[in-house]
Amino acid sequence: MLKYTIKRLGQSLITLFIVVSAVFLLMRLLPVEGYFGDGYDKLSESQREAVLQKMGLLDPWYVQMGAFYKGLLRGDLGVSTIYRKDVPVLEVIGPRVPYSMKFGIVATCLALIAGLGMGVSMAKNKGKGLDKLWTGYVVFVNAVPLAVYLLFIQLYGTSLLDLPLLFDKYMPSSWILPAVSMSLGGIAGYAMWMRRYMVDELNKDYIKLAKAKGLSQSTIMVRHVMRNAYVPMAQYLPASILMTISGSIYIESLYSIPGMGGLLVDVIQRQDNTMVQALVLIFSSVGIIGLFLGDLLMALFDPRIKLSKSGASR
Amino acid sequence: MAKGDAILEAKDIVIKFNLRGRTLTAIRGAGLRLNEGETLAIVGESGSGKSVLTKSFIGMLDQNGWVDSGEAVFEGRNLAAIKDEKDWLAIRGKKISMVFQDPMTALNPLLTVGAQIKEVFELHHGLSGKQADHAVVEMLERVGIDNPSERRKQYPHEFSGGMRQRVVIAIAVACKPRILICDEPTTALDVTIQAQILDLIKALQRDLAFTTVYITHDLGVVANVADKVAVMYAGQIVETGSAEEVFYDSRHPYTWALLSSLPQLGVKGQPLYSISGTPPNLFNTVVGDAFAPRNPKALKVDFAAQPPMFQVSPTHSAATWLLDPRAPAMEPPPAILAMRAKLGGAKLGGAKLGDAAKNGGAL
Amino acid sequence: MIRGAMMREPLAAGSESAEAIAAKVDASLFVPADFDANAAERGGYSDYSYWRSTMRGFLKNRVALGFLLLLGALLLFTFVQPLLPGQKSPTHIHIDPATGMQYRNVAPGAEFWFGTNTIGQDLWARIWGGTRTSLMLGLLVGVAEMLIGITFGAIWGYVRRLDGVITEIYNVINNIPTTIVLMLLAYILRPSFKTMVIAMCATGWLGLARFVRNQIVIIRDREYNLASRCLGTPSRRIIVKNLLPYLVSVIMLQTALSIPGTIGWEVFLTYIGLGLPVSIPSLGNLVNEGRQIMMSPELRYQLLFPTIILSLITISFYVLGNAFSDASDPRNHV
Repeated sequence: MLKYTIKRLGQSLITLFIVVSAVFLLMRLLPVEGYFGDGYDKLSESQREAVLQKMGLLDPWYVQMGAFYKGLLRGDLGVSTIYRKDVPVLEVIGPRVPYSMKFGIVATCLALIAGLGMGVSMAKNKGKGLDKLWTGYVVFVNAVPLAVYLLFIQLYGTSLLDLPLLFDKYMPSSWILPAVSMSLGGIAGYAMWMRRYMVDELNKDYIKLAKAKGLSQSTIMVRHVMRNAYVPMAQYLPASILMTISGSIYIESLYSIPGMGGLLVDVIQRQDNTMVQALVLIFSSVGIIGLFLGDLLMALFDPRIKLSKSGASR
Repeated sequence: MAKGDAILEAKDIVIKFNLRGRTLTAIRGAGLRLNEGETLAIVGESGSGKSVLTKSFIGMLDQNGWVDSGEAVFEGRNLAAIKDEKDWLAIRGKKISMVFQDPMTALNPLLTVGAQIKEVFELHHGLSGKQADHAVVEMLERVGIDNPSERRKQYPHEFSGGMRQRVVIAIAVACKPRILICDEPTTALDVTIQAQILDLIKALQRDLAFTTVYITHDLGVVANVADKVAVMYAGQIVETGSAEEVFYDSRHPYTWALLSSLPQLGVKGQPLYSISGTPPNLFNTVVGDAFAPRNPKALKVDFAAQPPMFQVSPTHSAATWLLDPRAPAMEPPPAILAMRAKLGGAKLGGAKLGDAAKNGGAL
Repeated sequence: MIRGAMMREPLAAGSESAEAIAAKVDASLFVPADFDANAAERGGYSDYSYWRSTMRGFLKNRVALGFLLLLGALLLFTFVQPLLPGQKSPTHIHIDPATGMQYRNVAPGAEFWFGTNTIGQDLWARIWGGTRTSLMLGLLVGVAEMLIGITFGAIWGYVRRLDGVITEIYNVINNIPTTIVLMLLAYILRPSFKTMVIAMCATGWLGLARFVRNQIVIIRDREYNLASRCLGTPSRRIIVKNLLPYLVSVIMLQTALSIPGTIGWEVFLTYIGLGLPVSIPSLGNLVNEGRQIMMSPELRYQLLFPTIILSLITISFYVLGNAFSDASDPRNHV
């Protein structure tokens, strides 16, 4: 187990390194105007050069990258150039982290509980009314773009349920709509996978033996099918964090939640390159860490993995 | 119940499946009688329905299949009429249990071997905790697994194929069944392991006094273990009798063909016999003798009417028109004649019978 | 072992005795019949055809058939609409000749079927124009993803030496949320139709490539293919018979699903300001325009109409793709 963890950790670190470097290099492709904000036209050629020189943007790319990594190791991601001029990026992001985390955790828990329950009830009633009803839900959530249905939830949710339209940290009821919105995709995902894994397990030979033992259908469901279906689901849990991130970017912005997702939309619209770079790196790292934890969780549940060499199984 | 009394008696069983919107009749009126303590082997090629027939005795037909008619009486109860899943729980895994073909997939990969055996003790003997653990260790020891108290904590992937099959057998006999159905128990195993597994089942049968049904297409297994043989073709039992009778005095052309195609019975320098053609499509109604289209020496009557079971001896019967007094005398194929000449007539012991089937061609 | 059981054991006891049944049969039939070797072969089970079973499975799915009709009608209408008489331009700003003012936010009626938007453009024409744009985008991305996916998948699977490298690349890209990749690319390249295509293709091909790779590895290593090759089956036949049917259906599924996906991403990117220029009518632009005025209930039709059309299209593609994939899965061909 330890060996596997170390190996998988190494893999994640390499991935992280490649992603950070790639993002950094891609950002160098952007025109330098992005670092000046609205004042670009007012500056003379030499003034511009001086600014760029100071930021190190005129150095060759490998020097820039070296400086960037040095900064990274010290926990320095640069300063905001437009959004909040000259304020260190991490200082801007810092206070926003708790909101994103709280919403992420609440939404993930909601999705997990509701989604697994839904999936189990679908597998148990395969082909019957309940299965079809939930399948309809899954199809709807997967087929209709989230940018569309979330809009309608905000629109009608607020008027029908008399909930606040925008997030207000002093008003607990303003948590409800965004948190539920964030979990809808996850619920559909969990339900669909749980159903599929359970149906897969149901068709396996060992279920036949369990049946031949004389176990009742419900015991087989609980002791064998559900248990075994949870294992691949464990891997899916952190992968769903990736999905929650997608949703959170949009939802935080819709409800004006002061989190990182909403911030990313803001700084993209304002074209603050250093802020975009920093946030992209943070979100990517969250994704990589999430998948790493998922694989660990899976190894914890599945005795076979300790023997196999696979880490890149997805 | 005394040895020799019927423990399970099935008559005219018809089993149908719904496939791709059509109805397939997999078992077309099969019957058999199983006596207390004996070992019956059901042989036949793939698709002849041997698995389906036995699965119907423990209510494990696939969801699209059902017993259409017929009866199977076990302990005074008609198994063919059981519809409710709850009623099966009183029989399946308790009175009749089953060993499957592939031990590699038959065990739950995420539960320890011990836990999977323990389930049976908890369910059928009401044991729990230490008592159940103790029973598990005892059972593992009994099926020949070394160091059972350690190994019960291991997972299936830590066991070899043969060892896993021992575990599966342990699970099947842990409930002390009256009938054990072994569906191709050695097919997926190494040749060297096969004999060990068969010996294990034999020993357990002796100790626990259950009745065994083997489903196999391996005539070597049949010769090794069976008291009685039933030959199945296209959803019917075409010949049945003691192992001796079926091997040395077979009457049905299909049995002849099956035995002639044994490599051991082939004659050196001559091409090995093989049955031409394919079994009938069971989506269609079969008229007459199902084997007739593949039998070069079939009679006209074989295409017209289904032959009844003719009695050859008190224990031996076959469904072929050749046994009708009006039929022309028909020579069995050379391989069968050779076998009759070599061993027929003489009274044989079981052990010798097994050797004969294995070495018949080489003698 | 053999017991001398002298008892009569009717193993397959029917209700009538054998003699009674036999008595009904005419004695003249007891003569040899002609043997027909072809008849012996005729019995078999092989009336199975992959594509026939797939079609049957698909046609049995009533819901999918309904969506197929709906989607067919929608697609047809989308592309035929500009040719119909009395249609307005999606970008023309209508001016009231009496006042010289734009027809702003005119409610749906006889002149403007779906009303006009905030600057006096005909919403009906814009919706179909937008649908054309978004569908073109979707189809283009779908086809491009398919080509890239198959090419990379084939290289990945065939060239063993590259397997490890490409697997690592796959892991890297797969570890980052798709949204982030999309946003980053759309941000770095300036917003345009081309940017949109490139950004979406950069992430979408992954799944297909991995699938193709796995299939090729299977072709190479699966025992039934090995057996097939040992029997002298040419590779071409193995590919056509064993691989292609399944591959084609999965490719179609992926392409079908990438269209609603693309439409969704377009709406999302438009929302964060990285979408197509506002001058091009697209579903993303329409939804975004509708969103900005959704708080006034009397103008809400500007959001409702585009989203209804959009949802019908995405749901149809999604349901059809899945229905086809279910029908083409051999495991469902019971």
